Amino acid sequence: MADQAPTTDHAQESASRERRAFPWLIGARRGGFIAAGALALTGLVFAWQAARLDLGQLGLPGPGFFPLALSLLLVLFSGVIALAGWLAAAKDEPLEFGHPQVLITLAALLAVPILFEPLGALIALGLLTAALLVFIARVSLLLAIMWSALGMAACWYLFQELLGVRLPMGPF
Amino acid sequence: MTGFDQLVRGFTVALSWKGLLYCFIGCLWGTIVGVLPGLGPLAGMTLLLPLTFGLDPTIGIIMLTGIFYGAMYGGSTTSILVRIPGEAASVVTCIDGYEMARQGRAGPALMIAAVGSFIGGTVSVLGLMFIAPPLAKVMIAIGPSVEVVLMLLALFVISIVSAGSRVKTATMVVLGLLLGTIGLDNLTGVARFTFGSPELSGGLSFAALAIGLFGLSEILVNLEKTETIKAIRPKLRDLIPRWNDVRDSAPAVGRGSVIGFIFGIIPGVSHVVSTFVSYAVEKRLSKHPEQFGKGAIAGVAGPETANNAVTGTAMIPLLALGIPSIPATALLLSALTIHGVQPGPLLLSDRPEVFWGLVASMYIGNVILLTLNLPLVGIFVNLLRIPYQWLVTAILVISIIGVYSVNSSVVDIWIMVISGGIGYVLRKLGYEMAPLLLALVLGDRLEGNFRLALTMSGGSYATFLDSASVAVLGSVLGLLLLVQALAWLFGYRKSVTDEAERP
Repeated sequence: MADQAPTTDHAQESASRERRAFPWLIGARRGGFIAAGALALTGLVFAWQAARLDLGQLGLPGPGFFPLALSLLLVLFSGVIALAGWLAAAKDEPLEFGHPQVLITLAALLAVPILFEPLGALIALGLLTAALLVFIARVSLLLAIMWSALGMAACWYLFQELLGVRLPMGPF
Repeated sequence: MTGFDQLVRGFTVALSWKGLLYCFIGCLWGTIVGVLPGLGPLAGMTLLLPLTFGLDPTIGIIMLTGIFYGAMYGGSTTSILVRIPGEAASVVTCIDGYEMARQGRAGPALMIAAVGSFIGGTVSVLGLMFIAPPLAKVMIAIGPSVEVVLMLLALFVISIVSAGSRVKTATMVVLGLLLGTIGLDNLTGVARFTFGSPELSGGLSFAALAIGLFGLSEILVNLEKTETIKAIRPKLRDLIPRWNDVRDSAPAVGRGSVIGFIFGIIPGVSHVVSTFVSYAVEKRLSKHPEQFGKGAIAGVAGPETANNAVTGTAMIPLLALGIPSIPATALLLSALTIHGVQPGPLLLSDRPEVFWGLVASMYIGNVILLTLNLPLVGIFVNLLRIPYQWLVTAILVISIIGVYSVNSSVVDIWIMVISGGIGYVLRKLGYEMAPLLLALVLGDRLEGNFRLALTMSGGSYATFLDSASVAVLGSVLGLLLLVQALAWLFGYRKSVTDEAERP
């Protein structure tokens, strides 16, 4: 009985993980195929674009020669990775992707380049700071706003005043 | 002017108030990024890159290099006190360092690690001083075809020595080379893969990619971990090692210096490989191998000395050949280029103050780090009390400003974020990022020299097999095979596997 308790806990934990939307559980093998496919696609896109450039001759390569050769090599290696994954043993450990904290951080980061120039660097980064403190560090909104304001004041002084870095100021 | 005169001139630069101040800042920041898990020397250097823009190139490079070797010192602190490696080269130190800390002997472990680091670092700077100048003279005499052979060899070795899947590493090398072709073609001025964007005509920003692929992806992976950090706190008076500790660690320090120095030439992961090899050597030569894993001081002294001995050797290919061998020196190459200094064989004749100022500063930096690390260890450990989520927020804000400030371009922030997301996925699937970055840095010159060599030879590929190329290829390959054979002999891969399997 004593031995069964952890197993039951483990089974319950696995079941609850499967029910959750995030993080996604993807088999390492399947993930490997997806990554190899994405890399092969990247190679094909580069190859298509490189083929439109002047390839020159074998002895006197043009600007498209080197990228075309590399693109084809990328496609080839991706194929080898996929084949190796296919031939590998049946062991397929699940990998977790998209932990909520990771997704929140990535979403907040994707907003930064969109807001960086229209709102100004300090406001965009202040919003990022507040969002991360609230959703990742789990502090209260008031405290997050206070800390982000203090942080941005420090950034302005350090980068703009002391180091002379020119940051976009937005509408101000 | 003799080499000694040049060194004296270098010391006048390094001992100026600016040289000392920025060397100190570099060492301090390097120690901090080494202590903090998730921030390695590369991210630390990229973050402070904007700070160097207003500085003299020599002073700027002194500071960035200080971060590089400072991180090696700092990495040992968390390995010993928390069993979390501050950076990859300190993984092995966790094994016996943490065991010593658990037995109440954290002080001697930290002291021996710091002294070993100092000795290893100093030995490697001596090597840099004596090997780089004659090597640069040889390199001046060779043509673009030999340079192509050397670069291909470096990329080949990176794929071979990788601890992970070789085909995945080779794929990352090819991807890095391919990404390096984005922008204007150097020989014809034709835009490649820019899709009409003027921001991409200069190529992808190295700083943005480095921060994204290394810093951001590491942060995202670490965010998934929820364990709290509990550090063992040593007292300052406990730092003094016993006579037995000194006796057991002295030979390990000597061997670690030699191993680190030799392995520094391996492109890719030399700083990590050297520590595993050093640990395996110490275990094999020890009269009490059973003590390894249970708090053997030689298991701390050897690897910590080795990873610092790599720092000077890793600078040799960068400064004498203009070829970076590890990601941190790739960033130094990028920084030197931003400052209008071209690393390579002509550096010593065209800008001797940069080379000798750097060499002199590395001696001074090692002394600064030795005096900085031991008394302030308590403060550095306190940094680990800051919740990781708070650190992440601060690091991301500084990273974004740092990346933007290089080209004043929002496109670089996009590159950083997107490459961070891609890096996170690829890391989880077992792809390494270091080969990609090294290939990215080398790609431009590899293609340029490849086409130049063919033009000069009238389109004959036999130029890559002329006597000079074959001689360089043969000697370098022979040396690398020897080093690789030594690594296998002492069970580097087995050590990696053993460590990976530890609970």
